[in-house]
Amino acid sequence: MAANIQYVARETASNLWRNRLMTVAAVLTIAVSLSLVGAAMLLKQGVAHATTQWQHGVNVDVFLNPGIPAAQEKVIDQDLLQLPYVRTCTYRSQAYDYNEAKHLLTPDESQSLTTATMPASLRCVLNDPSQARGVAQQFSGRPGVKNVTFPSQAVHNMQQVTRILQWVFLIVAVILLLSASVLILNTIRLAIFARRREVSVMKLVGATNWFIRVPFMFEGLLQGLSGAVIAACSVFGLHLVLNALGDSRTSNVFTQMRMPVGEVLTTSAVVVLIGLVVGTAGSAFAIRRFLET
Amino acid sequence: MICLENVSKTYQTGTVALRDVSLDIEKGEFVFLVGSTGSGKTTVIRLLLREELPDGGRIWVAGHEVARLSQWRVPYLRRNMGCVFQDYRLLPNKTVFENVAFALEVIGRPKHVIASQVPQVLDLVGLGRKRDSLPGQLSGGEQQRVGIARAFVNRPLILLADEPTGNLDPKTSLGIVRLLDRINRTGTTVVVATHDATIVDMMRRRVIELDQGTMVRDQARGVYGYGT
Repeated sequence: MAANIQYVARETASNLWRNRLMTVAAVLTIAVSLSLVGAAMLLKQGVAHATTQWQHGVNVDVFLNPGIPAAQEKVIDQDLLQLPYVRTCTYRSQAYDYNEAKHLLTPDESQSLTTATMPASLRCVLNDPSQARGVAQQFSGRPGVKNVTFPSQAVHNMQQVTRILQWVFLIVAVILLLSASVLILNTIRLAIFARRREVSVMKLVGATNWFIRVPFMFEGLLQGLSGAVIAACSVFGLHLVLNALGDSRTSNVFTQMRMPVGEVLTTSAVVVLIGLVVGTAGSAFAIRRFLET
Repeated sequence: MICLENVSKTYQTGTVALRDVSLDIEKGEFVFLVGSTGSGKTTVIRLLLREELPDGGRIWVAGHEVARLSQWRVPYLRRNMGCVFQDYRLLPNKTVFENVAFALEVIGRPKHVIASQVPQVLDLVGLGRKRDSLPGQLSGGEQQRVGIARAFVNRPLILLADEPTGNLDPKTSLGIVRLLDRINRTGTTVVVATHDATIVDMMRRRVIELDQGTMVRDQARGVYGYGT
Protein backbone atom coordinates (compact mmCIF):
# COMPACT_ATOMS: atom_id res chain seq x y z
CA MET A 1 0.00 0.00 0.00
CA ALA A 2 2.87 2.35 0.85
CA ALA A 3 4.40 1.56 -2.54
CA ASN A 4 1.05 2.37 -4.14
CA ILE A 5 0.80 5.78 -2.55
CA GLN A 6 4.32 6.53 -3.65
CA TYR A 7 3.50 5.31 -7.14
CA VAL A 8 0.37 7.48 -7.38
CA ALA A 9 2.24 10.54 -6.09
CA ARG A 10 5.10 10.06 -8.54
CA GLU A 11 2.82 9.43 -11.52
CA THR A 12 0.60 12.38 -10.70
CA ALA A 13 3.51 14.76 -10.28
CA SER A 14 5.12 13.73 -13.56
CA ASN A 15 1.77 13.96 -15.37
CA LEU A 16 1.13 17.46 -14.13
CA TRP A 17 4.64 18.59 -14.98
CA ARG A 18 4.58 17.11 -18.47
CA ASN A 19 1.30 18.83 -19.30
CA ARG A 20 1.96 21.98 -17.31
CA LEU A 21 0.52 24.39 -19.87
CA MET A 22 -2.75 22.51 -20.08
CA THR A 23 -2.71 22.11 -16.32
CA VAL A 24 -2.44 25.87 -15.88
CA ALA A 25 -5.21 26.42 -18.42
CA ALA A 26 -7.50 23.95 -16.67
CA VAL A 27 -6.77 25.36 -13.21
CA LEU A 28 -7.43 28.93 -14.38
CA THR A 29 -10.65 28.00 -16.11
CA ILE A 30 -11.89 26.25 -13.01
CA ALA A 31 -10.79 29.23 -10.90
CA VAL A 32 -12.61 31.76 -13.07
CA SER A 33 -15.81 29.79 -13.45
CA LEU A 34 -15.96 28.78 -9.81
CA SER A 35 -15.27 32.39 -8.77
CA LEU A 36 -18.34 33.36 -10.73
CA VAL A 37 -20.36 30.58 -9.17
CA GLY A 38 -19.19 31.70 -5.75
CA ALA A 39 -19.80 35.36 -6.50
CA ALA A 40 -23.30 34.55 -7.68
CA MET A 41 -23.98 32.62 -4.50
CA LEU A 42 -22.55 35.42 -2.37
CA LEU A 43 -24.56 38.11 -4.11
CA LYS A 44 -27.66 35.99 -3.81
CA GLN A 45 -27.11 35.72 -0.07
CA GLY A 46 -26.35 39.43 0.19
CA VAL A 47 -29.52 40.35 -1.65
CA ALA A 48 -31.51 38.00 0.55
CA HIS A 49 -30.06 39.75 3.60
CA ALA A 50 -30.73 43.19 2.24
CA THR A 51 -34.30 42.36 1.27
CA THR A 52 -35.07 41.14 4.77
CA GLN A 53 -33.68 44.33 6.20
CA TRP A 54 -35.64 46.51 3.82
CA GLN A 55 -38.80 44.68 4.65
CA HIS A 56 -38.20 45.14 8.35
CA GLY A 57 -37.82 48.84 7.79
CA VAL A 58 -40.90 49.40 5.66
CA ASN A 59 -42.44 52.69 6.69
CA VAL A 60 -45.73 54.27 5.87
CA ASP A 61 -45.28 58.01 5.95
CA VAL A 62 -48.47 60.00 6.45
CA PHE A 63 -47.89 63.62 5.48
CA LEU A 64 -50.26 66.14 7.05
CA ASN A 65 -51.55 69.35 5.53
CA PRO A 66 -49.52 72.27 6.82
CA GLY A 67 -51.34 74.26 9.48
CA ILE A 68 -54.00 71.77 10.55
CA PRO A 69 -55.02 71.90 14.19
CA ALA A 70 -53.06 69.86 16.66
CA ALA A 71 -56.22 68.04 17.74
CA GLN A 72 -56.73 66.72 14.22
CA GLU A 73 -53.16 65.53 14.15
CA LYS A 74 -53.76 63.63 17.35
CA VAL A 75 -56.88 61.93 15.99
CA ILE A 76 -55.05 60.73 12.94
CA ASP A 77 -52.20 59.48 15.09
CA GLN A 78 -54.58 57.55 17.34
CA ASP A 79 -56.48 56.09 14.38
CA LEU A 80 -53.22 54.87 12.91
CA LEU A 81 -52.13 53.23 16.14
CA GLN A 82 -55.48 51.46 16.43
CA LEU A 83 -54.75 49.47 13.29
CA PRO A 84 -53.44 46.04 14.37
CA TYR A 85 -50.50 45.97 11.96
CA VAL A 86 -49.09 49.37 12.87
CA ARG A 87 -46.34 48.99 15.45
CA THR A 88 -45.31 52.55 16.19
CA CYS A 89 -45.84 55.99 14.80
CA THR A 90 -43.39 58.84 15.26
CA TYR A 91 -44.47 62.44 14.87
CA ARG A 92 -42.14 64.64 12.85
CA SER A 93 -42.66 68.36 13.09
CA GLN A 94 -42.66 70.76 10.15
CA ALA A 95 -39.21 71.98 11.21
CA TYR A 96 -37.84 68.41 11.18
CA ASP A 97 -39.25 67.73 7.75
CA TYR A 98 -37.87 71.01 6.48
CA ASN A 99 -34.39 70.09 7.66
CA GLU A 100 -34.70 66.65 6.16
CA ALA A 101 -35.81 68.05 2.85
CA LYS A 102 -32.95 70.51 2.85
CA HIS A 103 -30.60 67.63 3.53
CA LEU A 104 -32.00 65.45 0.76
CA LEU A 105 -32.48 68.07 -1.94
CA THR A 106 -29.93 70.27 -3.69
CA PRO A 107 -29.77 73.91 -2.58
CA ASP A 108 -31.43 74.97 -5.84
CA GLU A 109 -34.40 72.74 -5.23
CA SER A 110 -34.80 73.50 -1.54
CA GLN A 111 -34.54 77.25 -2.08
CA SER A 112 -38.27 77.78 -2.37
CA LEU A 113 -39.09 75.71 0.70
CA THR A 114 -39.96 77.27 4.00
CA THR A 115 -40.80 75.66 7.32
CA ALA A 116 -44.33 76.97 7.07
CA THR A 117 -45.09 75.25 3.77
CA MET A 118 -43.57 71.91 4.81
CA PRO A 119 -46.01 69.22 5.90
CA ALA A 120 -45.56 67.62 9.29
CA SER A 121 -45.66 63.84 9.17
CA LEU A 122 -46.33 60.65 11.04
CA ARG A 123 -43.73 57.96 10.32
CA CYS A 124 -45.28 54.59 11.01
CA VAL A 125 -43.48 51.26 11.24
CA LEU A 126 -45.63 48.25 10.39
CA ASN A 127 -45.59 44.77 11.85
CA ASP A 128 -46.59 43.38 8.52
CA PRO A 129 -44.97 45.14 5.56
CA SER A 130 -47.49 43.70 3.11
CA GLN A 131 -50.23 45.81 4.69
CA ALA A 132 -48.52 49.08 3.69
CA ARG A 133 -50.75 49.56 0.68
CA GLY A 134 -53.90 49.03 2.72
CA VAL A 135 -52.88 51.59 5.34
CA ALA A 136 -52.00 54.06 2.65
CA GLN A 137 -55.37 53.67 0.91
CA GLN A 138 -57.23 54.00 4.15
CA PHE A 139 -55.63 57.28 5.10
CA SER A 140 -54.81 59.04 1.89
CA GLY A 141 -58.35 60.46 1.45
CA ARG A 142 -58.82 61.72 4.99
CA PRO A 143 -59.22 65.39 5.79
CA GLY A 144 -56.00 66.89 7.03
CA VAL A 145 -53.89 64.26 5.27
CA LYS A 146 -51.85 65.58 2.38
CA ASN A 147 -50.62 62.28 1.05
CA VAL A 148 -49.34 58.88 2.16
CA THR A 149 -46.20 57.24 0.82
CA PHE A 150 -44.96 53.72 1.22
CA PRO A 151 -41.89 52.14 -0.38
CA SER A 152 -43.31 48.75 -1.26
CA GLN A 153 -43.16 49.40 -4.98
CA ALA A 154 -39.49 50.32 -4.74
CA VAL A 155 -38.70 47.21 -2.71
CA HIS A 156 -40.65 45.11 -5.16
CA ASN A 157 -38.77 46.52 -8.14
CA MET A 158 -35.47 46.07 -6.38
CA GLN A 159 -36.27 42.46 -5.58
CA GLN A 160 -37.22 41.78 -9.15
CA VAL A 161 -34.00 43.27 -10.49
CA THR A 162 -31.87 41.33 -8.05
CA ARG A 163 -33.75 38.14 -8.78
CA ILE A 164 -32.99 38.52 -12.47
CA LEU A 165 -29.38 39.35 -11.61
CA GLN A 166 -29.07 36.21 -9.52
CA TRP A 167 -30.36 34.10 -12.38
CA VAL A 168 -28.02 35.71 -14.88
CA PHE A 169 -25.09 35.09 -12.57
CA LEU A 170 -26.06 31.49 -12.00
CA ILE A 171 -26.60 30.73 -15.69
CA VAL A 172 -23.25 32.26 -16.63
CA ALA A 173 -21.60 30.35 -13.81
CA VAL A 174 -23.14 27.04 -14.88
CA ILE A 175 -22.08 27.57 -18.50
CA LEU A 176 -18.54 28.35 -17.35
CA LEU A 177 -18.56 25.35 -15.08
CA LEU A 178 -19.55 23.14 -18.01
CA SER A 179 -16.83 24.57 -20.21
CA ALA A 180 -14.32 24.09 -17.42
CA SER A 181 -15.39 20.44 -17.13
CA VAL A 182 -14.89 19.99 -20.86
CA LEU A 183 -11.46 21.58 -20.62
CA ILE A 184 -10.45 19.34 -17.72
CA LEU A 185 -11.74 16.39 -19.69
CA ASN A 186 -9.66 17.43 -22.66
CA THR A 187 -6.55 18.03 -20.55
CA ILE A 188 -6.76 14.62 -18.98
CA ARG A 189 -7.52 13.00 -22.30
CA LEU A 190 -4.41 14.61 -23.76
CA ALA A 191 -2.38 13.43 -20.79
CA ILE A 192 -3.65 9.90 -21.29
CA PHE A 193 -3.15 10.06 -25.04
CA ALA A 194 0.44 11.14 -24.51
CA ARG A 195 0.87 8.08 -22.34
CA ARG A 196 -1.20 5.56 -24.30
CA ARG A 197 1.86 3.30 -24.73
CA GLU A 198 2.26 3.15 -21.00
CA VAL A 199 -1.45 2.55 -20.51
CA SER A 200 -1.43 -0.24 -23.10
CA VAL A 201 1.59 -1.89 -21.46
CA MET A 202 -0.11 -1.60 -18.08
CA LYS A 203 -3.22 -3.29 -19.42
CA LEU A 204 -1.12 -5.94 -21.09
CA VAL A 205 0.73 -6.98 -17.95
CA GLY A 206 -2.53 -7.08 -16.01
CA ALA A 207 -2.77 -3.79 -14.13
CA THR A 208 -6.31 -3.32 -12.91
CA ASN A 209 -8.35 -0.49 -14.35
CA TRP A 210 -8.43 1.25 -10.99
CA PHE A 211 -4.68 1.12 -10.74
CA ILE A 212 -4.41 2.87 -14.11
CA ARG A 213 -7.22 5.27 -13.34
CA VAL A 214 -6.20 6.50 -9.91
CA PRO A 215 -3.18 8.65 -10.88
CA PHE A 216 -5.23 10.38 -13.56
CA MET A 217 -8.13 10.94 -11.20
CA PHE A 218 -5.75 12.28 -8.61
CA GLU A 219 -4.40 14.65 -11.22
CA GLY A 220 -7.91 15.90 -11.96
CA LEU A 221 -8.60 16.20 -8.26
CA LEU A 222 -5.51 18.37 -7.77
CA GLN A 223 -6.43 20.59 -10.71
CA GLY A 224 -9.97 20.96 -9.44
CA LEU A 225 -8.75 21.65 -5.92
CA SER A 226 -6.23 24.33 -6.89
CA GLY A 227 -8.73 26.06 -9.16
CA ALA A 228 -11.36 25.91 -6.44
CA VAL A 229 -9.03 27.27 -3.76
CA ILE A 230 -8.22 30.26 -5.97
CA ALA A 231 -11.96 30.71 -6.53
CA ALA A 232 -12.69 30.45 -2.79
CA CYS A 233 -10.07 33.12 -2.13
CA SER A 234 -11.63 35.47 -4.65
CA VAL A 235 -15.08 34.82 -3.17
CA PHE A 236 -13.69 35.80 0.21
CA GLY A 237 -12.02 38.81 -1.38
CA LEU A 238 -15.34 39.87 -2.84
CA HIS A 239 -16.86 39.54 0.59
CA LEU A 240 -14.17 41.85 2.01
CA VAL A 241 -14.74 44.37 -0.78
CA LEU A 242 -18.49 44.35 -0.17
CA ASN A 243 -17.85 44.86 3.52
CA ALA A 244 -15.48 47.74 2.89
CA LEU A 245 -18.03 49.37 0.59
CA GLY A 246 -20.74 48.90 3.20
CA ASP A 247 -18.50 50.30 5.93
CA SER A 248 -18.39 53.84 4.60
CA ARG A 249 -20.16 56.36 6.81
CA THR A 250 -23.13 56.93 4.57
CA SER A 251 -25.21 53.83 4.66
CA ASN A 252 -25.84 52.39 1.22
CA VAL A 253 -27.03 49.24 -0.47
CA PHE A 254 -23.87 47.35 0.49
CA THR A 255 -24.35 48.05 4.19
CA GLN A 256 -27.49 46.02 4.09
CA MET A 257 -25.79 43.26 2.08
CA ARG A 258 -23.18 42.67 4.76
CA MET A 259 -23.35 39.15 6.09
CA PRO A 260 -21.69 36.99 8.73
CA VAL A 261 -18.31 35.40 7.92
CA GLY A 262 -19.79 31.95 8.56
CA GLU A 263 -22.01 32.20 5.51
CA VAL A 264 -19.11 33.28 3.34
CA LEU A 265 -17.04 30.36 4.55
CA THR A 266 -19.89 27.99 3.76
CA THR A 267 -20.05 29.41 0.25
CA SER A 268 -16.28 28.97 -0.14
CA ALA A 269 -16.52 25.39 1.09
CA VAL A 270 -19.25 24.67 -1.46
CA VAL A 271 -17.05 26.15 -4.18
CA VAL A 272 -14.10 23.95 -3.17
CA LEU A 273 -16.36 20.91 -3.11
CA ILE A 274 -17.66 21.64 -6.61
CA GLY A 275 -14.07 21.98 -7.81
CA LEU A 276 -13.08 18.64 -6.34
CA VAL A 277 -16.05 16.83 -7.81
CA VAL A 278 -15.69 18.38 -11.27
CA GLY A 279 -11.96 17.61 -11.39
CA THR A 280 -12.21 14.03 -10.20
CA ALA A 281 -15.34 13.05 -12.08
CA GLY A 282 -14.04 14.77 -15.23
CA SER A 283 -10.87 12.71 -15.28
CA ALA A 284 -12.67 9.50 -14.41
CA PHE A 285 -14.94 10.15 -17.37
CA ALA A 286 -12.04 11.06 -19.67
CA ILE A 287 -10.12 7.85 -19.04
CA ARG A 288 -13.15 5.64 -19.52
CA ARG A 289 -12.68 5.00 -23.22
CA PHE A 290 -8.98 4.24 -22.83
CA LEU A 291 -9.79 1.42 -20.48
CA GLU A 292 -12.30 -0.36 -22.69
CA THR A 293 -11.38 -3.95 -23.60
CA MET B 1 -3.62 -24.80 -20.64
CA ILE B 2 -5.00 -23.24 -23.82
CA CYS B 3 -8.05 -24.60 -25.56
CA LEU B 4 -9.99 -23.25 -28.53
CA GLU B 5 -13.25 -24.95 -29.46
CA ASN B 6 -14.83 -24.10 -32.83
CA VAL B 7 -13.75 -20.49 -32.53
CA SER B 8 -14.83 -17.99 -35.18
CA LYS B 9 -14.10 -14.32 -35.38
CA THR B 10 -15.27 -11.76 -37.92
CA TYR B 11 -14.18 -8.16 -37.54
CA GLN B 12 -16.63 -5.32 -37.94
CA THR B 13 -15.09 -4.49 -41.31
CA GLY B 14 -16.37 -7.84 -42.53
CA THR B 15 -12.96 -9.51 -42.60
CA VAL B 16 -13.20 -13.11 -41.49
CA ALA B 17 -10.19 -13.66 -39.22
CA LEU B 18 -10.91 -17.14 -37.91
CA ARG B 19 -13.20 -19.92 -39.14
CA ASP B 20 -14.11 -22.73 -36.80
CA VAL B 21 -10.68 -23.17 -35.25
CA SER B 22 -10.19 -25.85 -32.59
CA LEU B 23 -6.90 -26.51 -30.89
CA ASP B 24 -5.47 -27.73 -27.62
CA ILE B 25 -2.16 -26.71 -26.10
CA GLU B 26 -0.90 -28.56 -23.04
CA LYS B 27 0.99 -27.12 -20.14
CA GLY B 28 4.69 -26.78 -20.91
CA GLU B 29 4.33 -27.09 -24.69
CA PHE B 30 6.23 -24.98 -27.22
CA VAL B 31 4.03 -24.20 -30.20
CA PHE B 32 4.63 -22.28 -33.42
CA LEU B 33 1.59 -20.66 -34.94
CA VAL B 34 2.47 -20.12 -38.58
CA GLY B 35 0.84 -18.71 -41.66
CA SER B 36 1.16 -15.76 -43.98
CA THR B 37 0.15 -12.25 -43.03
CA GLY B 38 -3.61 -12.05 -42.48
CA SER B 39 -4.00 -15.75 -41.75
CA GLY B 40 -5.35 -15.06 -38.26
CA LYS B 41 -2.28 -15.62 -36.05
CA THR B 42 -2.54 -12.26 -34.32
CA THR B 43 -6.28 -12.71 -33.86
CA VAL B 44 -5.61 -15.91 -31.90
CA ILE B 45 -3.22 -14.01 -29.61
CA ARG B 46 -5.70 -11.15 -29.15
CA LEU B 47 -8.46 -13.61 -28.30
CA LEU B 48 -6.27 -15.33 -25.72
CA LEU B 49 -5.51 -11.95 -24.11
CA ARG B 50 -9.21 -11.10 -24.31
CA GLU B 51 -8.48 -7.99 -26.31
CA GLU B 52 -11.14 -9.38 -28.61
CA LEU B 53 -14.10 -11.61 -27.97
CA PRO B 54 -14.94 -14.55 -30.28
CA ASP B 55 -18.14 -14.47 -32.32
CA GLY B 56 -18.58 -18.18 -31.91
CA GLY B 57 -16.99 -21.05 -30.03
CA ARG B 58 -15.30 -21.16 -26.66
CA ILE B 59 -11.82 -20.37 -25.39
CA TRP B 60 -10.17 -21.55 -22.18
CA VAL B 61 -6.96 -20.11 -20.84
CA ALA B 62 -5.41 -21.40 -17.61
CA GLY B 63 -8.72 -22.88 -16.55
CA HIS B 64 -10.88 -19.83 -17.24
CA GLU B 65 -13.38 -19.53 -20.02
CA VAL B 66 -12.18 -16.25 -21.43
CA ALA B 67 -15.42 -14.88 -22.88
CA ARG B 68 -17.37 -15.47 -19.69
CA LEU B 69 -14.86 -13.71 -17.48
CA SER B 70 -16.26 -10.51 -15.99
CA GLN B 71 -14.52 -7.32 -17.03
CA TRP B 72 -12.84 -6.69 -13.70
CA ARG B 73 -11.20 -10.13 -13.68
CA VAL B 74 -9.54 -9.69 -17.07
CA PRO B 75 -6.39 -8.09 -15.55
CA TYR B 76 -5.96 -11.14 -13.34
CA LEU B 77 -6.27 -13.40 -16.38
CA ARG B 78 -3.55 -11.38 -18.11
CA ARG B 79 -1.22 -11.81 -15.16
CA ASN B 80 -1.05 -15.49 -16.16
CA MET B 81 0.24 -14.50 -19.59
CA GLY B 82 3.36 -12.71 -20.70
CA CYS B 83 3.31 -11.15 -24.13
CA VAL B 84 6.08 -10.24 -26.56
CA PHE B 85 5.58 -8.17 -29.71
CA GLN B 86 7.32 -7.50 -32.98
CA ASP B 87 7.71 -3.82 -32.08
CA TYR B 88 8.93 -4.58 -28.52
CA ARG B 89 6.53 -2.02 -26.95
CA LEU B 90 9.07 -0.73 -24.49
CA LEU B 91 8.65 2.62 -22.78
CA PRO B 92 11.33 4.84 -24.33
CA ASN B 93 11.82 7.11 -21.31
CA LYS B 94 12.40 4.29 -18.85
CA THR B 95 15.61 2.34 -18.44
CA VAL B 96 15.87 -1.39 -19.05
CA PHE B 97 15.49 -2.03 -15.35
CA GLU B 98 12.52 0.33 -15.03
CA ASN B 99 10.79 -1.18 -18.06
CA VAL B 100 10.93 -4.62 -16.53
CA ALA B 101 10.16 -3.37 -13.02
CA PHE B 102 7.14 -1.49 -14.38
CA ALA B 103 5.40 -4.78 -15.13
CA LEU B 104 5.67 -5.81 -11.49
CA GLU B 105 4.99 -2.35 -10.12
CA VAL B 106 1.66 -1.92 -11.86
CA ILE B 107 0.32 -5.20 -10.56
CA GLY B 108 1.16 -4.06 -7.05
CA ARG B 109 4.20 -6.22 -6.29
CA PRO B 110 6.15 -4.95 -3.27
CA LYS B 111 9.52 -3.29 -3.67
CA HIS B 112 11.67 -6.10 -2.33
CA VAL B 113 10.13 -8.50 -4.83
CA ILE B 114 10.97 -6.11 -7.65
CA ALA B 115 14.50 -5.65 -6.35
CA SER B 116 15.14 -9.39 -6.38
CA GLN B 117 13.16 -10.51 -9.45
CA VAL B 118 14.21 -7.92 -12.01
CA PRO B 119 18.01 -8.46 -11.85
CA GLN B 120 17.39 -12.20 -11.94
CA VAL B 121 15.33 -12.08 -15.13
CA LEU B 122 17.74 -9.57 -16.72
CA ASP B 123 20.55 -12.04 -16.11
CA LEU B 124 18.41 -14.76 -17.68
CA VAL B 125 18.01 -12.75 -20.91
CA GLY B 126 21.67 -11.71 -20.81
CA LEU B 127 21.20 -8.01 -20.17
CA GLY B 128 22.36 -7.84 -16.57
CA ARG B 129 24.99 -5.27 -17.47
CA LYS B 130 22.69 -3.01 -19.48
CA ARG B 131 20.10 -2.42 -16.78
CA ASP B 132 20.58 1.36 -16.82
CA SER B 133 20.48 1.82 -20.59
CA LEU B 134 17.49 3.35 -22.33
CA PRO B 135 15.77 1.27 -25.03
CA GLY B 136 16.99 3.69 -27.70
CA GLN B 137 20.60 2.83 -26.83
CA LEU B 138 20.05 -0.88 -27.44
CA SER B 139 20.09 -3.00 -30.60
CA GLY B 140 16.86 -4.57 -31.84
CA GLY B 141 17.79 -7.95 -30.43
CA GLU B 142 18.59 -6.46 -27.06
CA GLN B 143 15.31 -4.55 -27.02
CA GLN B 144 13.43 -7.75 -27.72
CA ARG B 145 15.28 -9.40 -24.85
CA VAL B 146 14.02 -6.61 -22.61
CA GLY B 147 10.53 -7.29 -23.97
CA ILE B 148 10.89 -10.96 -23.10
CA ALA B 149 12.25 -10.11 -19.65
CA ARG B 150 9.23 -7.91 -19.02
CA ALA B 151 6.85 -10.63 -20.19
CA PHE B 152 8.53 -13.27 -18.07
CA VAL B 153 9.40 -11.36 -14.89
CA ASN B 154 6.05 -12.21 -13.33
CA ARG B 155 6.67 -15.93 -14.04
CA PRO B 156 3.49 -16.35 -16.09
CA LEU B 157 2.06 -19.74 -16.97
CA ILE B 158 1.95 -18.82 -20.64
CA LEU B 159 4.25 -16.74 -22.82
CA LEU B 160 2.71 -15.43 -26.04
CA ALA B 161 4.96 -13.99 -28.74
CA ASP B 162 3.57 -12.25 -31.80
CA GLU B 163 6.23 -12.15 -34.54
CA PRO B 164 9.01 -11.73 -31.98
CA THR B 165 11.70 -11.88 -34.68
CA GLY B 166 9.86 -9.83 -37.28
CA ASN B 167 12.29 -6.93 -37.07
CA LEU B 168 15.48 -8.89 -36.47
CA ASP B 169 18.19 -10.41 -38.64
CA PRO B 170 18.39 -14.25 -38.82
CA LYS B 171 21.28 -14.62 -36.39
CA THR B 172 19.68 -12.41 -33.75
CA SER B 173 16.38 -14.20 -34.35
CA LEU B 174 17.93 -17.52 -33.46
CA GLY B 175 19.20 -16.07 -30.21
CA ILE B 176 15.71 -14.85 -29.35
CA VAL B 177 14.14 -18.23 -30.11
CA ARG B 178 16.76 -20.00 -28.03
CA LEU B 179 15.86 -17.68 -25.18
CA LEU B 180 12.17 -18.55 -25.61
CA ASP B 181 13.18 -22.20 -25.59
CA ARG B 182 15.03 -21.72 -22.31
CA ILE B 183 11.96 -20.11 -20.82
CA ASN B 184 9.87 -23.01 -22.09
CA ARG B 185 12.14 -25.43 -20.24
CA THR B 186 11.22 -23.74 -16.94
CA GLY B 187 7.75 -25.17 -17.50
CA THR B 188 6.19 -22.13 -19.16
CA THR B 189 3.88 -22.78 -22.08
CA VAL B 190 5.19 -20.83 -25.08
CA VAL B 191 3.15 -19.87 -28.15
CA VAL B 192 5.05 -18.13 -30.95
CA ALA B 193 3.12 -16.67 -33.87
CA THR B 194 5.54 -16.23 -36.74
CA HIS B 195 6.12 -16.39 -40.47
CA ASP B 196 9.86 -16.78 -39.97
CA ALA B 197 10.59 -20.17 -41.62
CA THR B 198 14.20 -20.33 -40.40
CA ILE B 199 13.40 -20.41 -36.71
CA VAL B 200 10.54 -22.86 -37.15
CA ASP B 201 12.63 -25.25 -39.19
CA MET B 202 15.49 -25.05 -36.73
CA MET B 203 13.47 -25.73 -33.62
CA ARG B 204 11.39 -28.66 -34.87
CA ARG B 205 8.55 -28.12 -32.45
CA ARG B 206 4.80 -28.45 -32.79
CA VAL B 207 3.52 -26.33 -35.69
CA ILE B 208 -0.05 -25.14 -36.15
CA GLU B 209 -0.68 -23.53 -39.53
CA LEU B 210 -3.48 -21.14 -40.29
CA ASP B 211 -4.54 -20.16 -43.79
CA GLN B 212 -7.09 -17.38 -44.20
CA GLY B 213 -8.57 -18.09 -40.82
CA THR B 214 -8.78 -21.84 -41.18
CA MET B 215 -6.50 -24.30 -39.40
CA VAL B 216 -4.85 -26.37 -42.13
CA ARG B 217 -2.16 -28.25 -40.19
CA ASP B 218 -1.29 -29.33 -36.66
CA GLN B 219 1.97 -31.22 -36.71
CA ALA B 220 4.22 -32.36 -33.90
CA ARG B 221 7.93 -31.66 -34.56
CA GLY B 222 6.98 -29.81 -37.74
CA VAL B 223 8.64 -27.39 -40.13
CA TYR B 224 7.41 -24.15 -41.69
CA GLY B 225 6.24 -25.34 -45.12
CA TYR B 226 4.84 -28.61 -46.41
CA GLY B 227 7.22 -31.22 -47.64
CA THR B 228 10.43 -29.65 -46.46
